[in-house]
This record gives sequence, structure tokens and C-alpha cells, in this order.
Amino acid sequence: MSELKTDSRILIIGIGNNGRSDDALGWNFVDEYSSLKDIFDVEYRYQLQIEDALLITEYKKVIFVDASHKEYENGYSFYKCIPVRTEAFTTHKLEPETVLWLANDLFNQSPEVHVMAISGMEWELNLGMSDAAKRNFDNAVSYFSQWIKEYRDSVKV
Amino acid sequence: MKKKITIDPVTRVEGHGRVTIHMDEYGKVEDSFFHIVEFRGFERFIQGHPYWEAPVLVQRLCGICPVSHHLAAAKAIDQLVGVDPQDLSPAAFKLRKLMHYGQIFQSHALHFFYLASPDLLFGMDAPVEKRNVIAVAIENKELARKGILMRKFGQEIIRAISGKKIHGVAAVPGGMHQTFDPKERDYFLNGKDLPNIQTMIDWSLEIIEFIKGYHEKNRILLDTFATFPSGHLGMVDDVGNMELYHGKLRAIDSTGKITLPDVATDDYQKYFLEGVERWSYMKFPYLKEVGREHGWNRVGPLARLNICNAIPTPLAEKERQAYVAFTGKKVNNSTLYSHWARLIEILHCAEVMNELLHDDEIMSNDLVREGKHRLEGIGIIEAPRGTLTHHYQVDEKGMITRCNLIVSTTHNNEAMNRAVRWVANNVISQKGAITDGMLNQVEVAIRAYDPCLSCATQALGQMPLRVELINHKGELIDERIKNG
Repeated sequence: MSELKTDSRILIIGIGNNGRSDDALGWNFVDEYSSLKDIFDVEYRYQLQIEDALLITEYKKVIFVDASHKEYENGYSFYKCIPVRTEAFTTHKLEPETVLWLANDLFNQSPEVHVMAISGMEWELNLGMSDAAKRNFDNAVSYFSQWIKEYRDSVKV
Repeated sequence: MKKKITIDPVTRVEGHGRVTIHMDEYGKVEDSFFHIVEFRGFERFIQGHPYWEAPVLVQRLCGICPVSHHLAAAKAIDQLVGVDPQDLSPAAFKLRKLMHYGQIFQSHALHFFYLASPDLLFGMDAPVEKRNVIAVAIENKELARKGILMRKFGQEIIRAISGKKIHGVAAVPGGMHQTFDPKERDYFLNGKDLPNIQTMIDWSLEIIEFIKGYHEKNRILLDTFATFPSGHLGMVDDVGNMELYHGKLRAIDSTGKITLPDVATDDYQKYFLEGVERWSYMKFPYLKEVGREHGWNRVGPLARLNICNAIPTPLAEKERQAYVAFTGKKVNNSTLYSHWARLIEILHCAEVMNELLHDDEIMSNDLVREGKHRLEGIGIIEAPRGTLTHHYQVDEKGMITRCNLIVSTTHNNEAMNRAVRWVANNVISQKGAITDGMLNQVEVAIRAYDPCLSCATQALGQMPLRVELINHKGELIDERIKNG
């Protein structure tokens, strides 16, 4: 495997709960890539909190992965996260956009953040994803594996 | 027309609660209830599991105080393998204590900076969009930054000992499964990658100065808001000083008279009963001797400062003395003094962590002790929110046959109901229009106890809070629902 630039590590944060059906999408996605230790640091969250703003400042590139209620074409959406200052929020659950805004505001750091949102359908207490979510998961993995390949090429020493 | 106000969900508390306020046709409050409407039932489904699984399973009760459940269960499981608290190896005892104080430090930081500070900084009547931690970050960046880093310090202590910030594994029957890495100790002491323990002490002192100033400016409000007589329960060491990991149980009444005289934690059943009400899943513990009506106790920071003779670390003790001198009262029965008490405990935890991080014994490999197996184990600790009891019985094969959990928030159940009633009677009753600020005061009263409703009922899922206003016909007149 080629050597990568020292600052090329990516933090990938899976958000969700694998005890709630398709809410496992975020964690399962992180599981899929957790063995790629040369490139990824991984974290699992039930929900994002304010201290995650500090965590993401330690990286140049961060990817949040979460299940989504939205129905995306191909079952997923991978998009660049824009910082958003929000005041109407729930104390224990922040959106990636707010976490990025806090990182910028409190710590003067602006890592490049992407969100991988994968469409889910079922959210009740249950182990295992629905068939539809599994298909969306596979599509997202397929896309992201190619994305990693291209990223690796771009950060080779 | 009679009305009922419901606050559901109560926000910035750990869990899902519902408040109903019943009003008569003249707008006078007739009654109020703080309902806990979620239910999970760990006590039941842990039955049939082998005892050694308990410390790992029960910490899933909560994502905020899993360490407290892990350690309370571990203390009980120690007894099942014949190891009483005094029989633990010094290294295991100190590692557990370090983890426990790190947990209280991070939990108290979470509560003060994230949950309580918006009310203090912006006022109880501030617009709802300001009453959150993002607004704190916008208007007081330094406070927000320090809050984040203090919480991180406590979480990092937990990670260093248990492998994870949340739901890690540290305790095993009779001890601990790994020692402290010297590199980890350097990490907490050298200040290179994380503000060091001395900085935590300094910041704790700073934030205490902030709360002292707040009390000076708002004395009348803080002395009167949700003030009512109650018992106070907590743990003390052999000389009556504050102890959070292992000690004896002491309770006093609202005047300071001892109602539970430093009894062994193993004897708790002799002294406590639990009442039930049809409108809440949460039980109401009380002292048998005193009875259901007057035998209930507040637990947590306010209670712990009330019952202890002193705090066994110098800076926190100095602050305790200042706190007592400020009120001039032997026993403080004012709900909002919980915040000041909590910050003194933050300082105490930082001082204890400092002592332990400088103690080479935390890096010893003498970690596990064994004894003669028993069929019953009781573990009681002072969790961030108060006295926490785990009690297990097992069969000859080591399978759990009975589990009883008395969670801190359960002890505070009666106090939270009284606090809601105080606000209903003094703020809402006969005031005509019900404002958002008034309803927030109900939440402020509950929030001071830092209730962990998920722990108290072992609930799962989203945890909002709801306030309902109900008229004399039982009709819902108004309600506020907020996500937690």
C-alpha cells in the first residue's frame, strides 16, 4: 500500500443506533471502513454533541454518516457540509452543520466536512436493517469505495 | 374555567418527563404532577443473566452516567465473589475512584455548562431561542470553550481507564481489568494535548467565582425559588466528610437533625421503602422510620453539601465554608443552590483526580482479589445526581434471580414534584396569561436536580418533556412540547 501524506487522515463519524432498525445505517457504514486504519479514524455517536466541535478540529477532513428520513435518488446523498448557526435546537442533538459552525466559531478551525446521508425507512426497536435500507447502504458503499480510491490517489506521497 | 397546564417534554433534562398543572375556574392552581412516563425495566430483564454481565449490561441504562451504573454494579458483583469494598486491591480501589470522580466531573460540567448556564446567563424569562448552549457559545465563547474542555477532561479519564468514553469496560468481579498507562498519566499532567489537571482546578475555581457573583446579584430569587423543607441523603466517610465512592449513608431532616445515622450501605433495606403512585413509573423512596410523608430525601450536590461535616480536599472545603457562610444556614433547602453545590463538587473531583493522577499505585498490576462466593451483593455509590443503589441476588450457578435499582433521580422524585408545585403556586397560579417564561421556570426547577429520567425508569428512545394545562373538566387547555 502506498504511503499517504501525514495530514491526510479522515475522521469518519457514524451517527445512529444499531438497536433501531435502519438507524444502524451510520454505524454500519463506519464498520465497513473501520479496518482501513491507514486512512480513517472512526467514531460512533448516538447523536452529535457540542464537544464534537472540538473533536473535528483535530482533522482536515471529516465525514459524518447518518441515516436519513429523506428518499434520495440511488438511496443516498454525499454532500459538502456548510456551517450553519442555529439557535433553535435540541440540547443533546446537533446537526453536522451546527457542529461545523461551532468548530469555526469557538476554535477558529474549519475542517472540510462532508455528510453521507443514507435513506432509511424503519426506525423501531429491532436489530438489522430493512431490505430497502440494505440496498441503499450497498449503493452508498459502492460510491464511497470509489471516492476513497480517488482520494488515496490524491494524497499519495 | 378550570385549566390544566402540561409541560411535555421538559427540556434540558436527561430523559422524558411530563408536567401537568391543574387549575380551577379562577386560574388558581389546584395541583401539579411531574410524571415519568417512560419505562424499560432493566430490573426484570437482567434476571437470568450471569452476574458477571451485570456491570456491562446495566451501564446501558444511560449514556450520561454509565460509569456510575457500571461501578455500583461492580461493587455489588464484588460481594458476589466475596470481595467487600475494603478488600479491593489499593490499585483497583484507586482506579475505580479515579474513573468515578472523572465521571462526576464530566457529568457536572455537562449539566452546568450545557443545561443550566443558559438560564443563569440569559434569565428564566429569556426568549426560548436564547435558552440553549448555542446561545451561550455565541455570547460567552470562553465559558463555552472551558465547558467543552472540562467535559472532555472527565471523559478522557473515563476513556483512559475503560477504553471508551461511553459504555467502556473497566471493572471485573473483584477488581479492575487493566492498570493505568504511564503515557496516559503524562497526557493528563503535561498539558500538551489537553489542558492539564491543574488547569481543571483553576477553571473550577473560576466558575465558582462566577456562581458566587450570580448569587450575590440574585440572592432573593435564589433564596426563595422552589425552597421547601425536605430530608437530605448522601454518603460520608468514617469521620463524616464527603465521600462519593464508598462510605456510610447519612440522612438529615430539613433542620439538620440526623434521621439516618451513618449506617452501612449493606443495610439499606433495613431503612428504606419505596412508594408508588398511579401517575408515574418512577418510585418514591423514603425512610421507613420517618414514614412516607416526611421520610423522603433530596440527593445529589445540594444534599451532599448539607449532610457532610467537611469536604476532604482543601480548596473545595474552603468553598464549602464560603457557601455555608453565605446563607448562614445549617441546612440549605433552596433548590437553586444545587448549581453552586454542584460546582463545589466539580472542584472537589478535580482535586481528587489530581491526587490520584500523582499516585503511582494507579499503575500497579495488583488488580483483582478473590473471596468466597455469596448469593447476594449490594453496591451503593454517590453518582453525579445522588445516591445510587444496585442490589443483586443470584442462584448457585451465578445467574441473577433478583435485581433492585434505586436510582438517584428516584430519590429526588418527591423533591422535583414539590419544586414543580412551588412554581405552579408561586409563579403560575392566578396570573392570567401563561407565558413561555413561566413555563420555563417549571423546567428550571426540575433541571436543578439534573434528573436522569432514563436512568430512573430505564427508558429508551427520544426523551422530550411536555407541559399540559388542564381545566376542571379534565380538558387540555394549553400545552408546550419540546424535544430534550
